[in-house]
Amino acid sequence: MGFSKLTETKVLLKQYFKDIISIEEGGEQRLIIDLQSKDITSMINHLKDFMDFKHLSMISCVDWPEENKFEIVYILTSYSKNIVLMLKTKIDRKNPKLQSIMSLWPQAVTYEIELNEMFGVFFEGNDRMGEEFILEDWDDIPPMRRDFDSLEYANKNFKFRDERKDKKIIREFISEHYDEWRKK
Amino acid sequence: MDDLKRPTLDSDFTCDMAFNKITKWAQKNSLWLLAYGTGCGAIELSPTMTSRYDWSRLGIRGSATPRQADLLLITGYLSTKTLKRVIRSYEQMQDPKYVIGFGSCTINGGMYYDSYNTIKQLDLYIPVDVYINGCMPRPEAVLSGLAYLKDKIGDKKADGWIKYKQNFEWYRENQKKILKSFNGDNMPDKYNW
Ligand code: SF4
Repeated sequence: MGFSKLTETKVLLKQYFKDIISIEEGGEQRLIIDLQSKDITSMINHLKDFMDFKHLSMISCVDWPEENKFEIVYILTSYSKNIVLMLKTKIDRKNPKLQSIMSLWPQAVTYEIELNEMFGVFFEGNDRMGEEFILEDWDDIPPMRRDFDSLEYANKNFKFRDERKDKKIIREFISEHYDEWRKK
Repeated sequence: MDDLKRPTLDSDFTCDMAFNKITKWAQKNSLWLLAYGTGCGAIELSPTMTSRYDWSRLGIRGSATPRQADLLLITGYLSTKTLKRVIRSYEQMQDPKYVIGFGSCTINGGMYYDSYNTIKQLDLYIPVDVYINGCMPRPEAVLSGLAYLKDKIGDKKADGWIKYKQNFEWYRENQKKILKSFNGDNMPDKYNW
């Protein structure tokens, strides 16, 4: 009778990394770990090499303009332990920089370029930073930031069609006549 | 036997017109559609082309390259990145060529009205012959749109491609407003075949 794999991982991680801000269970076979940004690369390195978290599911970003922070989220999976890990770290919003993990997983490059384009987060060590990925000819602030006003941008850059000349509201017109047409 | 009336042709029925009639008939009954789907609307094309609704009754078939196609269907929202590819494909198609705008998104932005990345009115950028509205249009609506386009071709009213060439500057200006790097290596300013 030993600990479950989840508790074991939790205890081990707490032992190795004294600076972890918090570590908690987020449901069945899930751990949510809050970290300082300086620890993130060593933590991921350790998880991959010694604790069998071989699968990088995704990297994502959450914008917190109120706190002036970006929260970068890494999700790792271990097939032998059957555990999903969520690593979170907050970085400064003014100068968002983080170490790239492309040496561990080549596919991380794609996620990092996307975050760079959509949020403006810079990943040091990734040589494809600044490349155009989804947006072409973009000249505004990165569009996934919460202070970017999408509707305002659309109004400024695109022309909407004028309303109907006869001012008919077509939805009402259809709903008025719907039963009548259906009988035909 | 002098009063025997010979059958006469219509006075303004010339050889040229006969030829015209035949080409129109051929054009409207053999539409080749560029197999290119943008947005969600392309999902309605599979029931329209398969046995339930079967658009080959109308003489429509898919073709793989723009050079062989007559008909371009813009099936829904069109992001600015895709617009670049659409313009190139459209300009590469052989005359005569027709465009159908498909779904509310092409008409006025649809439910992507506040998106920073999709165009709101298709006819500012390429000439549209027929719009099919609905989000998304059912196969019946698609077929009726296609039938309408065929009638329009028969009446010689589907002349978007002529308008595009005549008002080329205007279309290019509109396109340049949203595609800022138009003079790059892969996006020539001229009409590119
Ligand atoms: S009109 Fe509706 S179905 Fe068509 S692309 Fe737009 S949102 Fe999708």
